[in-house]
Amino acid sequence: MRIFHDLNVDFMGKRRIFYTISSVILIFGLINIFVRGFSFGIDFKGGVEVTLKFDNPVNITELRDKASNIGLGSVEAKTFGDETSALLRTGYTELPAELLPKVQSKVEDVINAKYPQVKKTLVERTATFISYHVDSIQALDGVVKALSDGGFQASKLVSDSVKANLTVRLGVSDWIKSGLREQMTKTNFDVQKSERVVPLVGKELKRNALWAIALSLIVILVYLGFRFKFSFASGAVLALFHDIFLTLGIFSAFNGLIPWLNLDISVTVVGAFLTLIGYSMMDTVVVFDRVREYMKIYKTLPLDVIMNKAINKTMSRTVITAFTTLISVTVLLIFGGEVLRSFAFCLFIGIITGTYSSIFVASVFVLEYSERTHKKIEF
Amino acid sequence: MKDFKLKTFIIIGAFALGFYLLYPTFADFQNTKDINAQVSEIGKQIKQKQPNISDNEYQSRLTKLRDSLLRHDPSILRNREKRIKLGLDLQGGMYLVMEINTPKLLEKLCKNPNDTLFQRLLSESEIETRTSEENVVSVLSRKIKAANKRMSLYFDFGDITATDSDIESKLQQQEKDAVSRAVEIISKRVNQYGVSEPNIQSQGSRRIVLELPGISNHEEALNLVQKGAVLEFKLFVKPSIAFTMMDKIDKVLAGSDSVKTAAKDTTKQDSEVNAKEHPFWSLAMIIDKSQKISDCSVRTEKVNTVLEYLKRADVKKILDEAGAQLVFDNRSEKAGDGKTDLTRMYVLNAKPELTGEVITDARAAMDPQKNMPAVSMDMNSQGTDEWATITGANVGERCAVVLDGVVFTAPYIEEKIPTGQSRITGSKSMEEAKILEIVLKAGALPAPVEPMEDRTVGPSLGQDSVNQGLNSGMFGFIIVSLFMIFYYRNGGVVAFAGLFFTILISLGVLAAFHGVLTLPGIAGVVLSMGMAVDANVLIYERIREELATGKTLKASVDSGFKMSYSAILDSNITTLITGIILYQFGTGPVQGFALTLMIGLVASLFSALVFSRLIFDYFASKGQMIQLG
Repeated sequence: MRIFHDLNVDFMGKRRIFYTISSVILIFGLINIFVRGFSFGIDFKGGVEVTLKFDNPVNITELRDKASNIGLGSVEAKTFGDETSALLRTGYTELPAELLPKVQSKVEDVINAKYPQVKKTLVERTATFISYHVDSIQALDGVVKALSDGGFQASKLVSDSVKANLTVRLGVSDWIKSGLREQMTKTNFDVQKSERVVPLVGKELKRNALWAIALSLIVILVYLGFRFKFSFASGAVLALFHDIFLTLGIFSAFNGLIPWLNLDISVTVVGAFLTLIGYSMMDTVVVFDRVREYMKIYKTLPLDVIMNKAINKTMSRTVITAFTTLISVTVLLIFGGEVLRSFAFCLFIGIITGTYSSIFVASVFVLEYSERTHKKIEF
Repeated sequence: MKDFKLKTFIIIGAFALGFYLLYPTFADFQNTKDINAQVSEIGKQIKQKQPNISDNEYQSRLTKLRDSLLRHDPSILRNREKRIKLGLDLQGGMYLVMEINTPKLLEKLCKNPNDTLFQRLLSESEIETRTSEENVVSVLSRKIKAANKRMSLYFDFGDITATDSDIESKLQQQEKDAVSRAVEIISKRVNQYGVSEPNIQSQGSRRIVLELPGISNHEEALNLVQKGAVLEFKLFVKPSIAFTMMDKIDKVLAGSDSVKTAAKDTTKQDSEVNAKEHPFWSLAMIIDKSQKISDCSVRTEKVNTVLEYLKRADVKKILDEAGAQLVFDNRSEKAGDGKTDLTRMYVLNAKPELTGEVITDARAAMDPQKNMPAVSMDMNSQGTDEWATITGANVGERCAVVLDGVVFTAPYIEEKIPTGQSRITGSKSMEEAKILEIVLKAGALPAPVEPMEDRTVGPSLGQDSVNQGLNSGMFGFIIVSLFMIFYYRNGGVVAFAGLFFTILISLGVLAAFHGVLTLPGIAGVVLSMGMAVDANVLIYERIREELATGKTLKASVDSGFKMSYSAILDSNITTLITGIILYQFGTGPVQGFALTLMIGLVASLFSALVFSRLIFDYFASKGQMIQLG
């Protein structure tokens, strides 16, 4: 079986149509980026994220309201994968000082409710933990269990046969958990994942991500400039910019539109962007390789004819590879689970634009460049 | 034909290697399944017998059971070491990035930390570095200069001629040392805690990255990591008292076990009877038969059993009465037979003579006279006085250096040390001496570390992710293969075999290099399947074109491969470049993705250019053509 056998389309002649298409989508995307922006995950913003799995489907609005009246300001809530899972996010990485007395009395309430006979004396309270001196070791295991049922994490430190220390951690995620447990006594939930990133680290990750993308663009520019011509390299990098911004625009436009598609920008999504760069480049290089070959063979033919010939000849390969890769990505999108969904979505868009841009941005740029500067490119 | 043979040989070898490298992963998967089944069976029995067993106790018993089942058969452990390791996102666990609290460290290093100007400058620098990424040391040094003061006013490294920049670089060095100290201490603790396959390493100059699989209690893990190190100097209990005490422990332990019936049962082997009658002495072997020293050897795998005994209230009572403590060495050594690992156990006074805060510095160096590594340590004035008294009263005795309840060395006191400057010899290597230096400094400068990033994945989410990853991989493989066979017929079959080969080699290489498979890593494998066929597609399309120009079979295959080379190489190199950058930039899971993607690409090149090539050439040499749709 073969498709595009003896294809003969004047791609270069129709390039103005594609300028329009690209511009429309890009402008649409840029408007979205400026108006709607992105939602950054805590990787880049800093904060705390908790993923909860409920026994039954959970109402997100209700959950958001409940999570927002525990003293941490408004807490973001989203579905995570399916209706029974939710992701909660706050910008706090430590409990605010004014909340600490409240947290302490809550901890003591939880202990007193089950073990009123246990005597405890406060040793220390900091922003991250409270520790008590407890006089009955026998009850300690039970106390730790009761605290964990109430959403707090605790540990015991037995110093000798009678005395022991009890340390209760005061993390933001613990406070969210205990706040929800208190308000949702009927629904049971488990913590599947909890993540905390200090804003400073978030800033570093963001800077690293930008560097990584910039660096890969530069290295590709140099490599292709060396292997082909500088005009080819510039066209390829321009195509990459086209792909990145187009995908970013679509990311922004789709953000929050589809309930099961969580398009937060995370480290994994940046990984997807770098992969997209790799794929788009791979596709562009295959077309360029053929252009280079034909330029050596048909020295007298005008560049647009050569380009059309090369693109038509490589079209079946372009489509088949894009198709098999899209199969893989679609499989990830459907079966890969919530964690990989935004990653797969990014690549799904990226593979389509990457294939498109090899022809209508990268190749066209080389043609425009050669026509406008009236320079003949030779290999 | 000879050429074919060699190539065939290489390819069969590569296939065999792939299977060989992946076998441990497969075997481990089966073993883990068996062990889990056994553990849950026994777990049920425990619950039945003791319905109100506490959760902690229950879990710790199951963990111990799992450990002993794992160790039961050495081949299980061997396979486990060679399997593909799963990332934290797939097996559940905790990822922590800790940062050294440099301001606190500087405060400790400062000569006069209560100086108001110093306090002000330090807190200013601390606030400033919170928002910028500058180093606290350089900011503080700049501020001190701006205040027209010299660094030597606050920091003294024993050299009065030191310039500001000398001191600044010394301080940076101290910061780095603090990180390596923290790594050392945390590793020891994590190992003692029993986390399987932890990964602890320093990152940059002030961070430590910890990966703790299977841990889900933040509180316990952070406790482990953040607790300040406790360094103590302890004297030994007199051997006669020590032996009486251990006899008592032995009796108490024997009394609680059902010893009577076992003793009468003559069919049991001697050693078993011995274990029943003397549960303690059967584990602890006396090193010095003349009983001049009370040290014992315990088989390393039995150390936990002994520690468990020591936790019992009746045993504790005996120890408390004697004011003693049983403490293990930090290393194990090979027994005379060269196989069994033994760990030394010491009987020490429970009360420390001195704690590590008095130490001001420690250095490991070669002793020029004896040509042996030695560690020297200095103490502050208060420590010097006490140390003089202690050493004076105990010449000829041993003194143990105990960090976090583990003995690092126990040298003999040779003479009274009046100056506070002591030298510890007896380290077997410079490396060992270095560790001792770190340990001694740990008491001097406990380095406070704070969590910057912490991510915990629960085991259930991990299992879900594994299933999702496996499903995606399988579906991806099947659909891509079916499409290729549908489109290219026999050529598709070759591509399918190549794809299988690519996956086999990718995973095999991952196992061989101890790579870690993460969820994004699985995505990398799935994605590289889609991209791997690209090389085949390029070649096939080219062969079709060449055939269309009327070339012969052999010539078409030849030029089909030859003409595709440049496109295949250039396109894969650019993808590899982004892969390398991604690997450099990424952390944990994303690195896993970059790794599998890169390995997958290289493997796919091999499969297209060598494997497919061979098959095509073979048929072409026979005048047959592999049908390309």
